[in-house]
Order: sequence, then C-alpha cells, then structure tokens
Amino acid sequence: MIELLRYRDLVRALVVRDLKVRYRRSTIGFLWTMLQPLMTMLVLTMVFSAVFRFDAPNYPVYALAGIMFWNFFNQSVITSMNSLRSNAQLLIKIPVPKAVFPVATVLAGVINLLFAMVPLFVILLVTGHPIRPAVLFLPVAILLAALFTLGAGLLLAPMAVFFYDTIEMIGVLMTLLMYMTPVFYPMDIVPEKYLWVVRFNPIRSVLEVFRDPIYFGKIPPLTHLTVAVSVTAVALIVGVVAFRRSSDRIAFYV
Amino acid sequence: MTSNGSVIELRDVSLCYRLAKQKIPSLKEYAIHFIKGSLAYEELWALRDVALSIEEGETVGIVGRNGAGKSTLLKVVSGVLKPTRGTLRRRGWVAPILELGTGFDYELTGYENIYLNALLLGRQRKEIDERLDAIIEFSGLDDFVRSPIRNYSSGMLARLGFSIATAWKPDVLILDEVLGVGDARFLKRCEKRIEEFRKAGTTILIVSHDPEAVRKNCQRCLWLEQGQLEADGPVDEILDRYREFIEGTGTRAGA
Repeated sequence: MIELLRYRDLVRALVVRDLKVRYRRSTIGFLWTMLQPLMTMLVLTMVFSAVFRFDAPNYPVYALAGIMFWNFFNQSVITSMNSLRSNAQLLIKIPVPKAVFPVATVLAGVINLLFAMVPLFVILLVTGHPIRPAVLFLPVAILLAALFTLGAGLLLAPMAVFFYDTIEMIGVLMTLLMYMTPVFYPMDIVPEKYLWVVRFNPIRSVLEVFRDPIYFGKIPPLTHLTVAVSVTAVALIVGVVAFRRSSDRIAFYV
Repeated sequence: MTSNGSVIELRDVSLCYRLAKQKIPSLKEYAIHFIKGSLAYEELWALRDVALSIEEGETVGIVGRNGAGKSTLLKVVSGVLKPTRGTLRRRGWVAPILELGTGFDYELTGYENIYLNALLLGRQRKEIDERLDAIIEFSGLDDFVRSPIRNYSSGMLARLGFSIATAWKPDVLILDEVLGVGDARFLKRCEKRIEEFRKAGTTILIVSHDPEAVRKNCQRCLWLEQGQLEADGPVDEILDRYREFIEGTGTRAGA
C-alpha cells in the first residue's frame, strides 16, 4: 500500500481518465451528474408526499443528500469491482500495484460527489433551507464516506476477478442494503419491529454523519460520530487486509 | 550499480497454477461445490525449483517448447507473478515487454497513452515530460500521436509500445517474443537501441522461438523443459543440444 505513494502520478492520471470518459460520452455529461440526483429527488418527493403521505420537513433536501451519498457509495463499489476485472489483462503483463485501480475509482467518485454538491446547495437556497456553519464539517464526513467505500471496494474487487457473477450478485445486495438504510425514508416511518435492522446497519452512521450538517445544520452528535469512525476503520482494515491477501492471486485467475 | 554481482537471483523458485478440476467461474457454482465438498484442484507446476543467477550486463536467451515455462519465468522475474515457493531477488528498474501495447487505452490519443503507459511502468509525470519528444520521435508517429490509437495499425501500436518501454535505460530488459512486429526498418532501430542498452550495462532476458535470434543476440542461454531448468550455459552449446533434443523427439513423436 505504501507503494501507492510512488505511483501517485499514475493514480492522478487514472482519476482524470475516469472523469474524462464519464464526461466525454455526452455533451451534457457534466450536467448529467448534477441532474441525475435532482431528478431522482423529484420522483421520490412526488412518490413520498403523494402516495406514502408522511411529513418530513423539507423532504427534498433529506432525500437529495441521501441519494448523493448512496450514488457515491454504490457507484464507487461497483466501479472498483469492474476496475480490477477490466484491467486484468494488464495486471498479468505489467507489475503495477493493483490497489491503484480501486483507489483511483473512489477518488473519481469523490470528485463527482463534489460536483453534485452544486445542485444541492442550489436546492438549499431555493427551498430556503438554512445553511449553518456545520456544513464546514462536510469535508470530514466525505473523508469518512470515501474511506468506508474504499474498504468495501478493496474487499470486493478481487472477488470480481475470481468469480464473474460477483458483480451481479453485489448489485442485488446493494438494492437490499439501500432499503435497509434510511437513504430516502425518514427513521420515524420504520415500524418498531424492524428498527433494529436499520439501527445496526453500519452504513447508516456514515450516511447520517454526511447528512446531519446539510439537513439538520448541526455537527453530528459524538455518539454517531464515534460509531461512524469505528465502522469506517473496521471497513478499511478488513478491505486492506483482504486485498493484500488476495492480490497476489489475481494474476493467476485471469 | 556499484559492484558486479547478480542483478537477478532465483532461489529454488517453483510456481504452481491451481486449476479447478471442474470449471468454477462463478460464485454460485463455487458455493454449490463448496457445500458438496467437491472442490478439487489440479496443481500445475509451471516452474519447478528453478535456481539461477544473472549478472549485471548479461544477455540471456530462454528456449524451450510450448508450455515449458518460458513466459512464466519472465513473469516471475518481472514481478507480475509471485513464486509459490522459493525467492526472487532483483535490483534496479525493470522494463518488462511481455507484449507490446499492454495497458493502452484505445479511446485515448497516442499522446495521452504515452503518459498512461509510462506511468503504469512506474515512471513519474516529470520524467515523462522530459522524454516526451524523444518517445514520439523514436516511434516515428509524428502527427498521429494526436489521434486516438484505435485508428492505429498494429505496427504503429507496436512501435509506440516499444518506444515508451525503452525510453529509459532499464537495469533489466525483458523481451517476450515481441520483436516480430513492425517493419524491417523499425526492427533495426529496436535492435540498435537494445544494443546500446547492452553496452551500457543493461541485463537482458529474451524469449524467442527463433534460435537464430537467440544465437545472434545472447551469450548465455537457458533451456526450460517441463518447468525445470534443463540446461544453462554458453549459447552455442545449449542451442545445439536443444536442436538435437527437438529433432529427436520430433521424429519419435512423428510430428
């Protein structure tokens, strides 16, 4: 992993390539990153205010912050898994530290998340949602989200090389996980008997630490923060250890 | 590079490919086999107890039949595959050319690929800035560097790949059957560059199916047979023995 420092120019080039590819496809590619979560937010707002009828104050902001977080997590994990598999041919010809690919993927994801902040703040202004100094806490929250995601990506990326169906499987699990996480529903609509599922979901704390400064305008309470930091540390350690153990085997499976 | 001494040293290196007896490409099938307790593997030892040491500045050819372990040996020396048993010691910067054009992104331009490829080989951005013109010049691509490489011919790709991989004098240069591409003129330039490296003390490993190419370029030759180092010595002697072996088994096998 320390070798990564020597390859930081490569990581930067991979991030730039990732962003270029994403935005070159269509002329409105760049706008699309901002529009996509906004449109999802509109759909959810219509569905949840008209059909499910619950009252969350300024639900659009709540949902948008959740969607942004989830998009980042979901896309980064899936792309990390693809990154190793699609570069597999290269990995058996050039001795390069394999972690550069998931790391670059997550970094590109962070940059996309930052772009998506622009429409979020527009929505905050338009809806008159107060922007409190607590938003200055966001860099810390994004760092936690990034490290947590990297841990998950490092754990899963080698598996995608070993077994071709891992990505499809994880895709399904991700949907399940999303419904177990209060991404777009407020905690108080969760029925009592299922509350534990959401409570013990490790991703929830990382999400709330990201959303608290935006939605509630407050720095997350210390209890939440402690859980989020611990969960992130565990995810990262598990990811790094698993990746190191399996990365020498990757070249054998291509 | 202070004193003489081995640049590459392999101590009893063995490498095992663990192949599943049944093909288990998916997690689902893995789970089924795991539950049934029927996960069986076939071990294929591509290298067995290979011990050798290569001194600074040597040019070494590697011969052997298909599947003898030549490419696996190069991959181990490059650092792409880790030995299952035994150890590899290596000094300096290695330029592994196991295949020209690996790591190219076909959507990017030649120019962008020079950066990407050299970075993959472990170079820094600043070093590439300095050598950029020299790389383009050697490849002979001129204005083509500005177009996406999906428009390139295979010869052009090979030229670009070789130009990038050899833009810096490596301590160890590894060539796996790559000089068969490109036109005769470019081949000459490649050979000239390799010759310059050799004179400057680069250690070179070459795998080739053409014994004459090995004879012309190498002083020393390794002969691999079923993953084992069958012989190691002066190029003429080894190649003569290898030819006798091939012709002998050739007639016996009737092929």
